[in-house]
Amino acid sequence: MAHCERASKPLLQCIRKTYARSLPSVQARGFQSSAAVAEAQAEQSQPFHKNPDPSLVTSPRLERQLMRQGTNPIGSRRRRAALQGSANIPFEQLPYQCFQEARKVLLEDRTEKLKEIESMRQKIAKVEAQPVEEAGGEQAQKSRVRAMQLHLERLKIHADINDPLVKRKFEDGLGDMSKPIYRYLADRKWREYRRKILVQRITQMNVVPDVLPHCDPIVDTKLYFNKRQVQPGDFVDAKVSSEAPKLDIQLFERGEKLVTIAVVDPDVPNVEADSFDFRMHYLAVNVPISAINTKVDLSQLAADSQVVLPWLPPVAQKGSPYHRLSVFIMEQKDSQPLDFAAVKAKETDRDNTLLRTLQARYHLKAIGAHLFRSQWDDTTLEVMNQIGYSGADVELRRKKVDPLPYKRRNPSTFR
Amino acid sequence: MLQPRLLAPLRALERAFSPSLRSAQNAYQPQSLILRSLSASLSVPKTTPIFRTLLPLSQVRFASHASQGTANRHSRDPAGKRLGAKRSNGEYVVPGCIIFRQRGSKWFPGDNCAMGRDHTIYATQAGYVRYYLDPERHPERRYIGVVFEKEERLPQPRNAPTRRRLNMVTIPRAEPVAYQSDIVATINENGTQVASAEAVNAGSGPQLRPGYMYREANWVIGRAAEKAGITAKSYDRNNRWLAWRKREARAERAAQMKSLKGKKKAPRKAK
Repeated sequence: MAHCERASKPLLQCIRKTYARSLPSVQARGFQSSAAVAEAQAEQSQPFHKNPDPSLVTSPRLERQLMRQGTNPIGSRRRRAALQGSANIPFEQLPYQCFQEARKVLLEDRTEKLKEIESMRQKIAKVEAQPVEEAGGEQAQKSRVRAMQLHLERLKIHADINDPLVKRKFEDGLGDMSKPIYRYLADRKWREYRRKILVQRITQMNVVPDVLPHCDPIVDTKLYFNKRQVQPGDFVDAKVSSEAPKLDIQLFERGEKLVTIAVVDPDVPNVEADSFDFRMHYLAVNVPISAINTKVDLSQLAADSQVVLPWLPPVAQKGSPYHRLSVFIMEQKDSQPLDFAAVKAKETDRDNTLLRTLQARYHLKAIGAHLFRSQWDDTTLEVMNQIGYSGADVELRRKKVDPLPYKRRNPSTFR
Repeated sequence: MLQPRLLAPLRALERAFSPSLRSAQNAYQPQSLILRSLSASLSVPKTTPIFRTLLPLSQVRFASHASQGTANRHSRDPAGKRLGAKRSNGEYVVPGCIIFRQRGSKWFPGDNCAMGRDHTIYATQAGYVRYYLDPERHPERRYIGVVFEKEERLPQPRNAPTRRRLNMVTIPRAEPVAYQSDIVATINENGTQVASAEAVNAGSGPQLRPGYMYREANWVIGRAAEKAGITAKSYDRNNRWLAWRKREARAERAAQMKSLKGKKKAPRKAK
């Protein structure tokens, strides 16, 4: 790409010079605020390589520079290269007849949907205003309102789903998650691949019957250690996981939810009992999440009102089977805050607290899950010494199995 | 050999029509084809013309001769492969114990079991064998599992935590030992110098060598005879007495080996 850019540099410069001039000022005012225009003019004064535009940059070096600054380039490199040479006509005004005719049809459909939405809103208000006797009982009225609200939500999505600009914005990652259409698109995309992977991992690795009896994830959960994302089920080095991870919990519903976040290890070896124990590595309650507010840093949560059990770095003894560290996002009932002091007083024991018990005790419902694994590695011993782990000086070996005694079966038939 | 099947009912028919012919019909015995056909041709057309038309419609083979092709069937049957259950329901097994041999997956491995290369089901944990169906997991498959307690049942409920055993013991953690190679290479301005490991270390006793062996360095082993003060006589070309003795000893040994070989072969031939 660098080559083609170098080759077309004079041409591009020429186009960029004519770009602002050739663009009719009326259009510019229609779709860009005056501030943006001023910014564009300011950009003109600086060379492109000093101040690259994320929607036009094509050279990998400049892209890296931008990413280091914290802004990702928009769309594909191919599209950015094409945009460099375009007249930058706003999308709605592209001069293709068929396109414009199609847009008219879509716009018509949209106005129709908007009308329907308005009428549905009025209907809902009417039904809600009705006295209970007239509506045929409280239950009937409630279910009717619920059905109408669902229909209203569907209409809102149908109004925008065919809009090419919405699609483009979503694909560029610029979608506003406070709007139902972008939430819907994000949910659909998540369910297409990432959710399937997550569900497969937590069921194949038996997290779901072992830690919780059931989990139907409805929030997209991403887990980061040191800014690096961890895929569900990845092995994480002990040193890396010695700091609490960051979570990105994307809710696809309207409104705010209060959740409990728990990290449970169901694979703590218990040699005396010849079985496995559970250990709660982290527990925090009353964590607010919403469609816009997604970032949760487990180490930054308030110690006096949220964190019940602070982060305990996971370590696996040498020779022990791998530990599954399962992260569960649990919705609190009716999004009501739990009494932090009471929870803190009650849940002090990391080793004997089962997540099933907590779920029943505080009426929680699992809405999201994640999983990473840890095993003995080069950095484990260091972390063990750091946290004062008691079993650092022993390793686990397989118990020798005595073979069954040889039994000659019915020897008379062999003669 | 063909025989008219309708003979019995027709015989009754004949009896009704012509009692005069009874005596001729009595002589009829299923002896040979010619005789019977003769008797049929002689007796029937006179009495019932329908009989002849019905005759070829239904013929029956009786096994008076052995049918060809089936006589040597069993010689072509292969030997039995000893498939089937090796451990029955409730029997105690240890890890690696074969529970079921089969062609194809007639049974599937359930809890604490695994399937081998030839679909053999074997145990991965010590416990008691269970043969069971798990319709929630698969509606048609039959499973073989192993449970830890004698009274436990399978399948487990879907949402119950899996029952597991650690099967491990703790031992003091061993630090990984660094290798010491026999050969040490030093690179300086004169080029690469390859030498054997330091004599100081080698003298201190056997060390971990490649291949996880505690032993001395190769060059130390090579000098063992020297250290023990063993000396070999130098070779004297003119000492024909020693040469003759050596040759004789070699020949004797060769003869001995040959006789041993023959002895081994002899009983095999006798078999």
